[in-house]
Amino acid sequence: MVLYDSATIGGSCSGSSSSSSSSKPPPLQQRQQTQQDIDGFLAGAGYRVRSSELRKVAQRLERLETAMVNSPADLSQLASDTIHYNPSDLASWVDSLLSELTQPPTCPSEFIMDPVSNQTVVSDAWTTAEPHMPQVHQNISYEQQSLNNQLTVVPAMEEDSGIRLVHMLMTCAECVQRGDFSLATSCLEDMQGLLTRVNTVCGIGKVAGHFIDALSRRIFQGIGGGSVNGGSAYENELLYHHFYEACPYLKFAHFTANQAILEAFDGHDCVHVVDFNLMHGLQWPALIQALALRPGGPPLLRLTGIGPPSPDGRDSLREIGLRLAELARSVNVRFAFRGVAASRLEDVKPWMLQVNPKESVAVNSIMQLHRLLGSDPNRNSPIETVLSWIRSLNPKIMTVVEQEANHNQPGFLDRFTEALHYYSTMFDSLDACTVQPNKALAEIYIQREIANVVSCEGSARVERHEPLSKWRTRLSGAGFRPLHLGSNAYKQASMLLTLFSAEGYSVEENDGCLTLGWHSRPLIAASAWQAVSDGTADFPA
Amino acid sequence: MAVSLSTWVLISNFKLAYNLLRRPDGTFNRHLAEFLDRKVPANANPVDGVFSFDVLIDRGTSLLSRIYRPATAEEPQPNIAELEKPVTAEVVPVIIFFHGGSFAHSSANSAIYDTLCRRLVSLCKAVVVSVNYRRAPENRYPCAYDDGWTALKWVNSRPWLQSQKDSKVHIYLAGDSSGGNIAHHVALRAIESGIDVLGNILLNPMFGGQERTESEKRLDGKYCVTLRDWDWYWRAYLPEGEDRDHPACNPFGPNGRSLEGIKFPKSLVVVAGLDLIQDWQLAYVEGLKKAGQEVKLLYMEQATIGFFLLPNSNHFHTVTDEISKFVSSDCIKTIGERIMQCIGALLCVDYVCLFKCFLG
Repeated sequence: MVLYDSATIGGSCSGSSSSSSSSKPPPLQQRQQTQQDIDGFLAGAGYRVRSSELRKVAQRLERLETAMVNSPADLSQLASDTIHYNPSDLASWVDSLLSELTQPPTCPSEFIMDPVSNQTVVSDAWTTAEPHMPQVHQNISYEQQSLNNQLTVVPAMEEDSGIRLVHMLMTCAECVQRGDFSLATSCLEDMQGLLTRVNTVCGIGKVAGHFIDALSRRIFQGIGGGSVNGGSAYENELLYHHFYEACPYLKFAHFTANQAILEAFDGHDCVHVVDFNLMHGLQWPALIQALALRPGGPPLLRLTGIGPPSPDGRDSLREIGLRLAELARSVNVRFAFRGVAASRLEDVKPWMLQVNPKESVAVNSIMQLHRLLGSDPNRNSPIETVLSWIRSLNPKIMTVVEQEANHNQPGFLDRFTEALHYYSTMFDSLDACTVQPNKALAEIYIQREIANVVSCEGSARVERHEPLSKWRTRLSGAGFRPLHLGSNAYKQASMLLTLFSAEGYSVEENDGCLTLGWHSRPLIAASAWQAVSDGTADFPA
Repeated sequence: MAVSLSTWVLISNFKLAYNLLRRPDGTFNRHLAEFLDRKVPANANPVDGVFSFDVLIDRGTSLLSRIYRPATAEEPQPNIAELEKPVTAEVVPVIIFFHGGSFAHSSANSAIYDTLCRRLVSLCKAVVVSVNYRRAPENRYPCAYDDGWTALKWVNSRPWLQSQKDSKVHIYLAGDSSGGNIAHHVALRAIESGIDVLGNILLNPMFGGQERTESEKRLDGKYCVTLRDWDWYWRAYLPEGEDRDHPACNPFGPNGRSLEGIKFPKSLVVVAGLDLIQDWQLAYVEGLKKAGQEVKLLYMEQATIGFFLLPNSNHFHTVTDEISKFVSSDCIKTIGERIMQCIGALLCVDYVCLFKCFLG
């Protein structure tokens, strides 16, 4: 057995990851770190362990080792069958494994070593906790990293023209931020000229083209949005459908959310799903089928689908509801559908959903919450209003999927830069997919997002994407606590990806949430939440 | 015999988690492995003077590498087009780093390796290229070496990585565990290619052989690692049916290649005294010496594997000091050589020429 000590070298361990000293004061977030006693060394490795608990965790690890050695079962099978959660919380993870491996506590004295007697053997070697180290650079806290720094540089960048285009885009954006529109205009002309000499079918040329268009729109048409947000409901649905088919982002969203909802509904007989954006209801057949196959039989499922009103007299919500009802009937799931037509999510009032107090509610928001972040000085903040009434429904689960990007920064240049990185990566992932008819329309879907982020302001700018770290803060502040997505959801999401021909997609676990990205840059993040049952919620300032 | 608490927790956690991932039938629970692995994104915002970005260096194999560079004073926040701006110093070492994990675990964006590579940048004033090579058992020998070789060629052909002094890329290969093994074999491949590798840094390199050595018998199961585990990893990496005397595993064994008379880079080999495969690592060092190759051995008696992952031990600082000297010695030697050259020529030339020689 290894004995530990706290052999450290005084002075030379600054807790930072390099030996060069920085003369800047530690970042603000370090000083505001609420859990001051997190072990800095392990934090740098991605684990959150309190210094005060280090010894306890070490003991548990020793016990785990013993349990593993003594375990008659095939460990790998056990590992497969167990659902793991949030590996960063090392103490909990070790404990959960220990409880899997050790017998139920009918004979505690046999299996649980007395920590006191254990200590006398090793207490000499275990001195008191190591000096508290200030945080190593924040690998796990997104607050530390401004997201416009996550990059995937594609090989096409190595062309000089590609690099020049990027330079010029940045210059142009900077001019726009400064209000120097004449210089911005001449930049635009130069870029359009350069575009003719660059491959615009793929790579940086294609992405640059979209950004040039968006800048053009901003400069010449102003920030009211013009026809960007226009597009009939039919058009939007068509583009959405092609985006759904061409790449795995929406499928991942639906799949992960459904998995979490299924688990949350376990043991409940009356369940009600509220979908913030029904579209074609693509998410729900899979859930209906999974509920049909549930051991113990399916629940009564109600689905309330929110969507924009149909302009041409069709009741498209009802049509989709009917189709889903037909499917439910075919698999013997009792099903009821209700459509709520609203042009804006903030116009929806909870009474419209007719939630029955006896039923378990799941609120499902796939890329909708960010649209509520635009603030209108004349009204209450829409996001606060909506989160508040969601909470009042006391849902069993709220599934949230959002673009993993910082496209809601106040400064135009920052936003532009971040969008350039984000959408370059997304387009790269699309390029890598095999040619299919869906691709062109899927690209238009993405292009519309770009145009909104770059050329709109105020209430016209609805694509106000914020990263997971910000949503965590916001949702916690609004009285929600996270429900962790575990290794089973992770595994199924990974397997979903193998169905796609392009290699390069990756699912990652991030503190209980799952992200899907391309070549190590996360692009979309899925999380699950539950209303905290008591206490007041303080909305972030 | 003492190890710091944080290090012990970290290494112990890895080892126990790894036990869950290896299946008796030789397959690997890749999904759970990826789920458990703590990863970090690249960060083009300098943190402690280092920024990073990911590059796809081979589309065919989805071979990603993470590049780490020192931030310069005039460029506090590089933008997307400036990440590959040419290095400005006279001599910039470029360290191609291969992460560890016994060929099966971890990635270039694993938190522990991201941290380690950042340290290397500051320590050696180097650019570090961390290669996300394909892993076993899904990808056996020679995939990892092929990826290493691809990375070496890529690095060598980047104009922006050329040192100002001689417009060449000053390349070092480094790695821990399986990464150390890869570094050796990539250096081997480089020999006939004309690509100069200036040095190899091998931290607890993963080598083995059919024979059971004394250290393996003595330390089997003592520090959460068993001989059976190592056997599993070799079976997962080596071609099916091959035994551990395959040259990938045992480069100086019965099937190994002689390095006598070969221009092989100088090596710095770090061996941990509590590592059960140390006899193979020491045999590797002997093999290099016998072939007349330059090699320095750092034997850290009290150290466990992975001790260099956290900066909280004497061993850590000893090793980092040695690495720093190893990498910078080329610069010093070159200047010294030049001085000697110039002094030698003093008899025949005047002072103007002398200065010219010196400056180069």
